Amino acid sequence: MDKQTIDSLLDPLTIQRAEALGLQARYVVEGYMAGEHKSPYRGFAIEFAQHREYAPGDDTRHIDWKVQARTDRYFIKQYEQETNYIANILLDGSESMQYGSGSLTKFQYGKALAACLSYLILHQRDAAAVGIFDQEMRDYAPRSDNRATIHTVMQRLAAFQPKAETNIAAVLHDMARLVRRKGIIIVISDLFDDEEKVLDGIQHLRFAGHEVVLFHTLDPDEFEFPFKGLVEFEGLEGIPKILTRPQEIRKSYLREFENFRTRLREGCEKNHVHYVTANTAQPLHEMLSGYLAFRLKTTTR
Amino acid sequence: MSFLNPLLLVGAAAVAVPIIIHLLNRRKFQRVVWGAMRFIKASVDQNQRRMRIEDLILLALRCLILILLALALARPAMKTSTTDVFGQTKVTGVLLIDNSFSMGVSDGAETRFDKARKAAEQAIDALPAGSSTAVLLASDLAQGLIPEPTFDLNLARKTVREAKLSDRASDLAPAIQKAIETLKGRAALRKEVYLITDGQAVGWRQLGDIQKLLEQTKAEIKSHILLVGAKEEGNLGISGLAVAGGLTPVNRPIRFEVQLTNFGKEEAKNIRVTLAVGSEPSGDEIMVPLLRPGETIGVSLFGKLRAEGFHAVTARIPDDHLLADNKRTVVCRAIREARVLLVDGEPGAEPRDSETFILGHALVPVAPIDRDNYFIKTTTITASEMAGTRLDDFDAIILANVPDFPEATVKALEQYLKQGGGLMVFPGAKVNAGFYNDVLFTRHAMLPAALGIPEGNADQEEKFSTLQTRNYEHPVTALWNNPGAGTLASARFFRTFKLEPAAANQKPASADAGPARVVLRYADGAPAIMERAWGLGRVFLFSSTADTAWNDLPVRPAFLVLVQRVLGSLVQRQDEGLNVPVGQEFTRQVSPDLVGRDAQITAPSQSAATRELRRVELLNGTPTLRFAATDIGGAYEATVNDPPAVIRFAAQPDPRESDLAELAAEDKEKLKTVAQVYDWSPTISLRELVEKERVGTEFWLPMALLVLALAALETWLAQWFSRAK
Repeated sequence: MDKQTIDSLLDPLTIQRAEALGLQARYVVEGYMAGEHKSPYRGFAIEFAQHREYAPGDDTRHIDWKVQARTDRYFIKQYEQETNYIANILLDGSESMQYGSGSLTKFQYGKALAACLSYLILHQRDAAAVGIFDQEMRDYAPRSDNRATIHTVMQRLAAFQPKAETNIAAVLHDMARLVRRKGIIIVISDLFDDEEKVLDGIQHLRFAGHEVVLFHTLDPDEFEFPFKGLVEFEGLEGIPKILTRPQEIRKSYLREFENFRTRLREGCEKNHVHYVTANTAQPLHEMLSGYLAFRLKTTTR
Repeated sequence: MSFLNPLLLVGAAAVAVPIIIHLLNRRKFQRVVWGAMRFIKASVDQNQRRMRIEDLILLALRCLILILLALALARPAMKTSTTDVFGQTKVTGVLLIDNSFSMGVSDGAETRFDKARKAAEQAIDALPAGSSTAVLLASDLAQGLIPEPTFDLNLARKTVREAKLSDRASDLAPAIQKAIETLKGRAALRKEVYLITDGQAVGWRQLGDIQKLLEQTKAEIKSHILLVGAKEEGNLGISGLAVAGGLTPVNRPIRFEVQLTNFGKEEAKNIRVTLAVGSEPSGDEIMVPLLRPGETIGVSLFGKLRAEGFHAVTARIPDDHLLADNKRTVVCRAIREARVLLVDGEPGAEPRDSETFILGHALVPVAPIDRDNYFIKTTTITASEMAGTRLDDFDAIILANVPDFPEATVKALEQYLKQGGGLMVFPGAKVNAGFYNDVLFTRHAMLPAALGIPEGNADQEEKFSTLQTRNYEHPVTALWNNPGAGTLASARFFRTFKLEPAAANQKPASADAGPARVVLRYADGAPAIMERAWGLGRVFLFSSTADTAWNDLPVRPAFLVLVQRVLGSLVQRQDEGLNVPVGQEFTRQVSPDLVGRDAQITAPSQSAATRELRRVELLNGTPTLRFAATDIGGAYEATVNDPPAVIRFAAQPDPRESDLAELAAEDKEKLKTVAQVYDWSPTISLRELVEKERVGTEFWLPMALLVLALAALETWLAQWFSRAK
């Protein structure tokens, strides 16, 4: 892979900032390597977590006798195990991601984001899998904790060309079914799909025990709708062309668009999913370090 | 509803412009490949209906603006409504003010012309704001003070106040014609002509034509006629003044014929008529005891011209209400002597037998001892001596029974006539009619007529013809219209040449030849004497002999008068132009050393400060002085300083204008069918009278305002519709 691809996907500034903050798993994840992440498997590990009243059926080995001696009650001693987590990075490769008003399209921005996250995760010795999807998974780099995997990941990211419509919900449902081991699912998409279905998919992932982070990748034009005069909008995903005077429908558009984002955000909050707005006008490192700082603050160890 | 600029209605086709722009714009758009289509689609679905309606409203507004603009430019007008909120429609008017000299009739306080100026100012005041008017003076022609309508009504008022009376006659037809031409074809809803005149019948002599003209244009142009004249019963005027004798020698009593007319309806008694030469205070005078209404009499007054040159002679009667015709001036040139060359074709043995014997005595009717002092000097030669004689030394040449003469003499004679000489030709038994007809008549067109076959027999006394006894038309013979002046009828003509003038449509061979006129006829109507101007000179052709060979006229008393008057006509040929009718251009040949000099011309009763300059110019190779502004009757003086020269001339008003008879009542009624006729007095409210007539409204202003309002609405709506929604 040439250096140019690496440069375009791995912004050194982003990496530098993000590395310091690290990507912590918010939830206790199942890991197979002792790492920085909590494991849901308790009882045998090194680090004490909490006491719990004994319930019949519990292994008596874990009864804390000292407590029993002092209080005459049975408590089970619980431990936490630090595990390695698996992060599944899902990048939307549908046509609508092709839009870009500035130097970057949403897809390019998403690719850079995915690459940075992969690098970060692999660098922490966690495992990362990267998948690009539209209606279904188009390209999938299976999970690996080998740092050298980053090259494969980036090659795949660089090579992909979006061409089809999107169906995020289906992909999320598939992921929920297929990924057995709990981990972090990072979705990078403009989510131009039926938001109810998308939220269903997220709920499914959450139900399967995954932590979900949603990077809602949007172009500034989509926020502001700054067009003037007579404009023909050509749909990227099969919607017929529309000829209109955008400034006359701007308010209505912005209202629709804001409603859409609000529904998504509220759905995410209900499911305890981090909803992150990734405006392609904002430098990647700013966006990412902002999020990571927020995450660090809200993640308890 | 009609349109004043209907051609501009084509502009309504511009209604297609916004539609075309709309369609073109639909093809010109930015293309954006866009992801978030569902939001646009939702927004468009919400707004589509509204946007379409807004588009339609704007398109309709823009089309409406253009249609209204085209309509406004086409100046729509309605003829029915009387008033509207936008005020009266502007008027394009022409003020015609009669300034003929009958307008000078005074009622003691002010003249008709003063009243006309007031009426004109009232007419200007009655024009609605924003109107325009031209100001023309009407006499026998239309004189444009403001030839094209001006919006500067103050200028029009000032022009009216400063308008001047002239001594011209009035004939209102050309002025009305001019006024109508001025207004015709102008894009205006209301066109009005105001004719302010004194209602003198003479001015309306072309009433039929005027009525027809006004009738034709009645729908387009409203005419108002304001009559300012009060009834004027009496007017005496000098209707004519002329030198009676024909010749004007220095220091001899010259008879002036004064025509006096009573234009009124009452007898005039004891009218004192005076004659003054130049600025001399007193001259001859005569009392006319009675002049009946409508009667014209001629009185003779005598005056002496004291020096050679131009003299203004003025006849006066006492002042009445109309001053302009109470005096009349002629200018005549006093001559020291008239030199006449008699060419005798048949000298005879005895002087008494010669062809020119009686003629010579008729020209110089004094005793031999007084001949040297008499102002007519004669020289008699034979036909053969003609070749050796300088013709230019003579004022007139008389050919009496001269057979023919060589070509060189013909040439000399031609040159002589061209420069203003006079020629009298008497035929006789010896004349070579072929030479006269072929050379003098046909080739050079010098003679007014060809000599036909001689009729009658001179050797008997039974059969003869006589001259006409009345209806003398030529100035030379007009004298005999007055029975007191003697008679020509007693003369008997036994043998005569038939005078055969060229056919009327035949162009004379020489450009110098003027029209041939009959001076005197025989009783049967055949011409007895004819004349024609030739170059600056003149030629008289008689049909019979100068002696008593073929007739007995030479021994009648009238012969002397006739010959002297013909001579006077010859000698004064070049002075004919000294007296012009008022308004006609004065043209006179002057001596060549004046070419390029400026002549200062002083009009009658004008101060030296307002003298006008005219340059002496070469006109067809002839040094000529011209002056056209002869609006005032009286003597004019043209002075050149270096070399010193003075020329006087006079302008004489048309005597018909003195007749103050009013337009007949039935003619007034006829006029009322084509125009509004008012008898003006200072107390009438012209405004009220004319405003009743001014019906009709133009709609361009409200339309233009509507266009403006719609344009503002369109701008606002376009902004409002395109705001972010």
